[in-house]
Amino acid sequence: MMARTLEVIVEQITHETAAIKSFKLVSADRSPLPRFSGGSHITTYLQTETGLIERHYSLTSDPDNTGYYRIAVRRNEDSNGGSIYWHDHVKEGDKISISYPKNYFPLSFQAKRHLFFAAGIGITPFLSMAKELKKKKAPFEIHYAAPSKELCAFYRHLSTFFSEETHFYFSKENKKMSTKLMENQPIGTHVYFCGPEAMIKGFADAAKVIGYSEKSIHFELFTPPKSGPMQPFRVKLNKSNKVIEVPEGKSLLDTLLQLHIDVPYSCKIGGCGSCQLHVLKGEIDHRDFFLTEMEKKESNVILTCVSRAKSGSLVLDL
Amino acid sequence: MSVKTTNQHMIKEIPLIKRFPFPFQKDSYRYSNNARPLESGKLADITPEYFEEIDKKRQILLNHHERAFQSLEHSIDGQWEVLEFLIDELAIIYPEYFSVIKNGHEWTFENKLLDEKHTFTFGDLSTLPYEPLDFIGRHVQEDLIFMGQRDGDLYMDAGQLCFPANWSIAFDIGMTYTEFHSPVPVFFDSGLAKKVLNFLLRIEAGKPWTRLNWTLTVEPILDTFPENFDEWGPKKEKVTSENAGQLVHLRVEDQRLFRMPRSNGILFSIHTHLISLDELKKNEDWLKRFFRVLKDLPDYMAEYKGFSLYKGEIIRYLEKSLTD
Repeated sequence: MMARTLEVIVEQITHETAAIKSFKLVSADRSPLPRFSGGSHITTYLQTETGLIERHYSLTSDPDNTGYYRIAVRRNEDSNGGSIYWHDHVKEGDKISISYPKNYFPLSFQAKRHLFFAAGIGITPFLSMAKELKKKKAPFEIHYAAPSKELCAFYRHLSTFFSEETHFYFSKENKKMSTKLMENQPIGTHVYFCGPEAMIKGFADAAKVIGYSEKSIHFELFTPPKSGPMQPFRVKLNKSNKVIEVPEGKSLLDTLLQLHIDVPYSCKIGGCGSCQLHVLKGEIDHRDFFLTEMEKKESNVILTCVSRAKSGSLVLDL
Repeated sequence: MSVKTTNQHMIKEIPLIKRFPFPFQKDSYRYSNNARPLESGKLADITPEYFEEIDKKRQILLNHHERAFQSLEHSIDGQWEVLEFLIDELAIIYPEYFSVIKNGHEWTFENKLLDEKHTFTFGDLSTLPYEPLDFIGRHVQEDLIFMGQRDGDLYMDAGQLCFPANWSIAFDIGMTYTEFHSPVPVFFDSGLAKKVLNFLLRIEAGKPWTRLNWTLTVEPILDTFPENFDEWGPKKEKVTSENAGQLVHLRVEDQRLFRMPRSNGILFSIHTHLISLDELKKNEDWLKRFFRVLKDLPDYMAEYKGFSLYKGEIIRYLEKSLTD
């Protein structure tokens, strides 16, 4: 069963910067939209001539605002068409299906202090987190790197509502957002990263060196991690005794779905854990950002959306 | 204090055997993650037992409040979310029984079955007679458990539990999912508990789940708390193959799971149904299947479910009934 969707109307489109537009979405039947937790996103389902496009966007509006949602989309020429479709084809008044809010990037409950590091459009999940923390009067800081003030989405919003907490780093002004900002922080500080993969990796590695525990480091990716060639491999389904060839360049998840094998999934970028399946035999090449190091070592589960067989074949408990 | 029951005629009378949620799909039962998508998407079922059960609930909450309601301070926002979720659902699904008028934060909730009307300010605890979960739980037959999801684990943060199958919310409050399931044999040690936890952590809003759980109870007693074991426990000793048909009841919990997107917590509801074996006899296929399930059931399950003492008596009763 596919999850129920919400029907919304694009009420207003705003140019945040030259490359970023934000979309205000109201419920089609005017009933209240569900509230959500800071860091949540929605999946948008766009019916296009070339088929259904599923994309995930952080909700940037207030978590308690049931009147409308807002998402921000950066036009990405290299993308598979989702952001381009949003920029070039979606008009005010259009009706769109979206998922209920989901959260794979929640605020830590045990954190005493929250440090957010954003690069570019990576600022979006932190907007609702900041609103939630401000309501709870919990301490946080936003560190935000962008090319310039003009190319910095939500600059005015952040300067108005979170001026105390926000620090900008504009590369045109030769200001660099350094990993050193994480040093000498009080015990109980949690760090959160969102931006391009290289930025996240750089900050996560630095955080570990500084001494942050795995549980105090949080991040959200927008695209699947690039981790090597997508070699072909074979899987055997234990219960049905089927043998499936996963071709080069294609994920195990997409291969299973194409064969009409009903397996769970959600984010498709190795971040949420929804597509986890049990592996009975075989060596797994873990490429996700979800499983802990311990779980990867135990090697009995695979996230089918990004991970593959190290060599030879895998036997799945399916 | 008892609830007004003059509106019993508003709920359609359907024989129990026609609406009982029979839990067995096969002739054998073992622990598994038997959750399936909840097609109806709703939490509350109103049955002809509504008035009787609401009355019972409210008496328990009056006389033994700490036994039947527990909450931690940080669950209040989640409790408001549960209240909003249920009031909205009740008003939409059962407009003949419930209504809500929202004037900004001023809400008026009406229960037409009980002829009760409450006006309160959403988010303001001082305008409700009880905490939000404790308030709304007094209008539905389901027990309501709110689990907070924090730092990758689930915690028992609040619950109104009037009809437990021998477990205690007062004992479990604040525990993690793994901790409060540690007494369940095999389920816990086999790694199944961890698998189910992983499943629960990823439940999405808009995609609720359901499962049926079961046990046996002597006499139609809904409030089988560990705290009042002295009242219902000794009744087990009375069961014989002659009286099992009247005394022994199949107890089925219709459990449902919903993600609360604001708090990111999980709402777990339990609607408990009881049917005597004499009543169950009216569906011969069910009786046969129940017989096969019992014959096949491992001792550790009968032990944990609390009927190993009289399992033999039930089997003799069933053998007799099925050969008659």
